[in-house]
Amino acid sequence: MFEGTLVDLVPFEDDYATYLESWMNEEAWFRAHLWDRREPHPEDAVKKYIEKMEKNERAALIGYQTKAGDPIGGLIYDHEWSRVRKVEVTFFTGDSRYEGTDEVLDGLLMLARYCFETRNMHRLDAMSLAFDEARIDALRRAGFVHEGTLRQHIRWDGDYVDVELYGLLEDEWPGYAARIEALGLQASDLEPKPKPEKKLEDEKALDEKILAP
Amino acid sequence: MMFEGLLVDLVPYGKRFFALERTWRNNDSAFWSSGGDRHIVSRASIQRMADRWAEEAEQMGPSRGIMFGVQAKDGTPLGFITINWLLPHSRLAMLGARIGDPAYWGGGYGTDALLLIIDYAFGWLDMRKLWLGTTSVNVRVMRQMEKTGFALEARERCAALMDGVWHDGLLYGLLREEWPGRDAMVERLGLRAKDGQNGSSTR
Repeated sequence: MFEGTLVDLVPFEDDYATYLESWMNEEAWFRAHLWDRREPHPEDAVKKYIEKMEKNERAALIGYQTKAGDPIGGLIYDHEWSRVRKVEVTFFTGDSRYEGTDEVLDGLLMLARYCFETRNMHRLDAMSLAFDEARIDALRRAGFVHEGTLRQHIRWDGDYVDVELYGLLEDEWPGYAARIEALGLQASDLEPKPKPEKKLEDEKALDEKILAP
Repeated sequence: MMFEGLLVDLVPYGKRFFALERTWRNNDSAFWSSGGDRHIVSRASIQRMADRWAEEAEQMGPSRGIMFGVQAKDGTPLGFITINWLLPHSRLAMLGARIGDPAYWGGGYGTDALLLIIDYAFGWLDMRKLWLGTTSVNVRVMRQMEKTGFALEARERCAALMDGVWHDGLLYGLLREEWPGRDAMVERLGLRAKDGQNGSSTR
């Protein structure tokens, strides 16, 4: 576990794999993956996606959760380019109750912290659909700088919409602790959601297997 | 012959071109087209790379890129021009190019190839937007973008490391409604066939 202020980063497994079966078919997922076609993701596709990310040495899918252990969604870095020390970052708020909260902002800050302070990146690339105000707000508060607008770039529900590009450089990153101090994050104190049903069944099956003589 | 321009033709990127790939990838043309990478590559590693590309292309399906060889009117292979990445549902395509022989830089060959592939992407593939990236020190490409009507849409700060110095990455875009057609652009740019060569327009 990699501990932040309001959230912790954890491996994307167990409950996260179960939640992803619904998250990957919801609005927040498609906003974060703006290049992808909007298409349904059955369980097999979800499983394959997690496996693909685990095998990819230039990318990672990381879970983030509240201090009480309530899963919020995923943090992603992709296309890490070692020569230029550059990586694309994005995030999705699987549990929509957390949309626009400081928990999501802390998740993004933790991802930036990991990329700069652990993976030694020089530059983070991020992008957002122009109408995705919550994402743009999180990027700005995290210190990302607006670098341009790709005009009418993506087909979205009957229109061609702009894509906003953002970048954050290592010399603009004051360090996680300094950033947190400046922002004064507030926990939203939402009630943790019940554990996913499927997970309970899996645990029961596992318990039975372990207890079997 | 697939698409005939005034200074170049676009043809399949076949063995004649591939035979020069080692030379081109080890010279300055690759440095400029890759945003600062200096490949020091053997024939064997180029072959492996080609095999990997072919494999990836098969897996990519509809987003698979399209590659043309660019040749002079006398048949000399000059380099490639590609649609690297297609997003059919957004009718969006990313372009890339490399004129491998520096002797052909600055003579309008790359621009002629660009006009042909723009016309192909809009006219045959029904794309709605084309975009491409370069670096803030690649003056030739920046000038080419400006004169062919591409708009500078984003400047990614310090996104390219070139010989130890950070430079910005530039992203340019061209919407279909901004494209006046190849013939009009040829006229506007004053592109002409070289003396003694039979350049013709495709449309």
